[in-house]
Amino acid sequence: MMNSKPYRVVPGPEGLLPPAAATCGIVLPEKGEGLVLGSLQSEQETLLVMARELLTRKNPTIFPGPLVLWAWKEGVAEKAASVLELADEIPGVRIIPMPDYRPIYPKIDPEAVINPCHPNLTIWHNKIEVCVFVGVHCHFANITLKMIRAGTNCYTITLCHEAGHEDSMASLPFCGADQVRALTEAIRQLKREGLRPRYADTPGIQLTPTQQTVLSGLAWQHGDGALAE
Amino acid sequence: MALRTLNVAPGFMRFMPKEYQDLVEKGPFGRQIKVTDLGTFKEVLEEHPMCEGCAMAFFIRLSLAALPNPEHTVMVGTAGCGRLAISQAAIPFVYGNYCDTNGVATGLKRGLQIRFPGQHKDVVVMAGDGGLSDIGFSQVMHSWFRKEKFTTIMLDNEVYGNTGGQESGMTRKGEVVKMAPLGKQFEKIDMLGLAQTSGVAYIARLTPTNPSRVFSTIRKAVLIAREVGPTYVQAYTSCNIEYSIAPEKVLDDARQVEKERYGFVEIMSDEAKAYLERIDAESKA
Amino acid sequence: MEKHAKQRVVSPEYMFFEAPRTRHFITGSEAASEAVRRANLDIAIAYPITPQSETMQRVGDLFGEGFLKDYYRAEDEIGAFSAISGASRTGVRCLTASSGPGLMRGLEVIASWPGHRLPLVFLIMCRVINAPLSIQPDNLELAYMLNTGSVLFHAENQQDFFDYTLASFIISEKCEVTLPVSVAVDGFFVTHARGWVEMPSAELKLPGRDCYNEAVPMIDNENPPIRIARDAPIQKSNFISYQMHAAWQQEIHAAQERSRRWITRYMGGLLEITNPDAETIIIASGSAVSQSREALRQAQDMGHQVGLIKIKSLRPFPVQELRQACQHAKRIIVPEFNCVGWLNREVRATLYGHTEAEIADGPRVYGGITMPTEMILEWLLDAEKGGQ
Repeated sequence: MMNSKPYRVVPGPEGLLPPAAATCGIVLPEKGEGLVLGSLQSEQETLLVMARELLTRKNPTIFPGPLVLWAWKEGVAEKAASVLELADEIPGVRIIPMPDYRPIYPKIDPEAVINPCHPNLTIWHNKIEVCVFVGVHCHFANITLKMIRAGTNCYTITLCHEAGHEDSMASLPFCGADQVRALTEAIRQLKREGLRPRYADTPGIQLTPTQQTVLSGLAWQHGDGALAE
Repeated sequence: MALRTLNVAPGFMRFMPKEYQDLVEKGPFGRQIKVTDLGTFKEVLEEHPMCEGCAMAFFIRLSLAALPNPEHTVMVGTAGCGRLAISQAAIPFVYGNYCDTNGVATGLKRGLQIRFPGQHKDVVVMAGDGGLSDIGFSQVMHSWFRKEKFTTIMLDNEVYGNTGGQESGMTRKGEVVKMAPLGKQFEKIDMLGLAQTSGVAYIARLTPTNPSRVFSTIRKAVLIAREVGPTYVQAYTSCNIEYSIAPEKVLDDARQVEKERYGFVEIMSDEAKAYLERIDAESKA
Repeated sequence: MEKHAKQRVVSPEYMFFEAPRTRHFITGSEAASEAVRRANLDIAIAYPITPQSETMQRVGDLFGEGFLKDYYRAEDEIGAFSAISGASRTGVRCLTASSGPGLMRGLEVIASWPGHRLPLVFLIMCRVINAPLSIQPDNLELAYMLNTGSVLFHAENQQDFFDYTLASFIISEKCEVTLPVSVAVDGFFVTHARGWVEMPSAELKLPGRDCYNEAVPMIDNENPPIRIARDAPIQKSNFISYQMHAAWQQEIHAAQERSRRWITRYMGGLLEITNPDAETIIIASGSAVSQSREALRQAQDMGHQVGLIKIKSLRPFPVQELRQACQHAKRIIVPEFNCVGWLNREVRATLYGHTEAEIADGPRVYGGITMPTEMILEWLLDAEKGGQ
């Protein structure tokens, strides 16, 4: 039976097995709308909420999925560029990719990837309290979002190229490069209005220790914790 | 062209895991790999959770490296040990239900043919002896009767390894394994004979003792399936756990089994032979 | 030029609501195949079984005429349903169908389609489940279908079978749905009997499948990621794998929920109500609705006020709509063509705590018997007397 109190999609940890928000009466936004904590909002309102959370919560992280990581069709390079531009406006942000969806054996390196089979490992390890998913196929985004809400206190933001995600705290549907740039603009607006970002003193994108190791040519393979020291 | 799915979006390479950087820069895609190239490029399969010394893992690694066009190949598997490794490869992998490999492969091949009529898309089933000769037998046979153009590779470890060592149709007569307390009561199923009767265009039986041979067998099987008809490869890939073979003795066992009973068998239709000659001549021209 | 190439692609909205329609007196099997003719279908695979065969052999004829790009008769239902799952993974528009024992044979595969996120349309021409062997109409098999994760409609008549089938292709392929849609119809009563069907011109067809805008990547090597293990073998025995499987199952039911919007838009809602103010209500689905309609007319002739709720969508189930519609009900009967009363159970579970009405445990027929309208009438009158 449906709960009489409207369900709210708030940061967890919500417990062992939170419900899918769609089965609790949360509906997807139409074009021009967004979803914030399960309520429909205007696109602009949604962008401002996303911007504020990204600037003020701990360890902001962008999780780009396959649809922006791989320039497989026209428009991807532009969208990818808009994501990097967004990152440049969030001081202290990290970018940890979700390059594929397979269950990775024998184990993942949470500083190298986030994986839909156990996304909470990456959130926990990096103490991420606000994140953006962009370019992830909707099925994998949805199961990822539910697991994050179950076991972590991370605020999840989705910039969805399709119909959006009830299970994230803030979601924008039908999101192309223009909408990503609009989010960047919303961040700039908040800064202009005087909001001092939590990591104002560490500007730019921060590489994870594993990423630094790889970049400096010291890693001969991924996933070796010893190398990441 | 599928290589576009290997273009990392501008600016994102530095965030990619090392294995993907290597796959993009040193992967086998879009070029012909030879067995002697092993060790000089990033293979589509490296890390996997198979047991120490597993012959099946070795055979899978060789087979994946031998694929003529990995960037246009789809693998299909089913329950069993093999899928633990195949699912880690940088090749799309379908893991469906029990018994469904050759039905799923039929649908994949036909769907891909509808969408990409001008591009060879190779579909390769790789599953165990139980998956293909027992529970999936009907679909294997019917895919052969229908002359579906894809490759079926049996990882024949002569036992249900993944479920803990029960008798399969490919277990040898007399073997005492689980669910065969008095020893298996009937002969190993003659899949090669059934393949011949069904008109399979290329049939091979081998062990993983000779990597060059694995390479050429897999390559032939995949190429012939593109234009001529179904192909079947049966590989002895011992289960060193269930048959108690020490990891360092696995290849000795394979050599012995090859010598005593498995051998190297290759049966090719005239049409398949002519096709191979034609494409070899074309590649030299 | 192939025939399908001569058809004009129109929007779903134009096809469903605006295109001029002409009336035809045809069987349910003909109605379904006429829907397929306009569906821009790529591939159909099926194994023959009565009473499904007539539809799927007609679809074969459509392939022969060039309306489909591929078609074959599979070796059995498991083979058919497995192969169509392979085809759906490559991004082509897919159809299969079955009946009673065939559906039961393929149930493992059917129940895996939603988890694999496979858009396709599955037609179910209901018949009894053996044993003893029989080919007669009876919709017990839908009791098994209710929990597979598939979207599931129950068509009343030939017109519904045409309309629901056509709409199903579009609903199935919506990104936020990305699920199989099953359209059930009672065998023989609908498949082999004629009824009036209004259809748009056969010169029109729906837009093709837009496979890169779905919830999962296609297995075609043309879209990322290059490593696709879409159907994750989650066999680590630890909490993480349990949690992923749980989230995955939840997502299937969430996707069903998201189909409500499209069912409402394209099919006019999940249920349909006649005489909403009546205190005595018949709730039915499938051809039991037609029988109930006639019983309702007879009851009205006798001076009784009776309402009728036709359940069009069994999954998702019209939970809120039904509670709303039954707010003032005093008596409810649920006529069904199966012995277990699966619709009755659905109705009771849905209305528990939301209605004061007495819900009668029937009437039901099965084994191929048609339901006489007198039987429904008797139950109605008994309910009004407070009997049963």
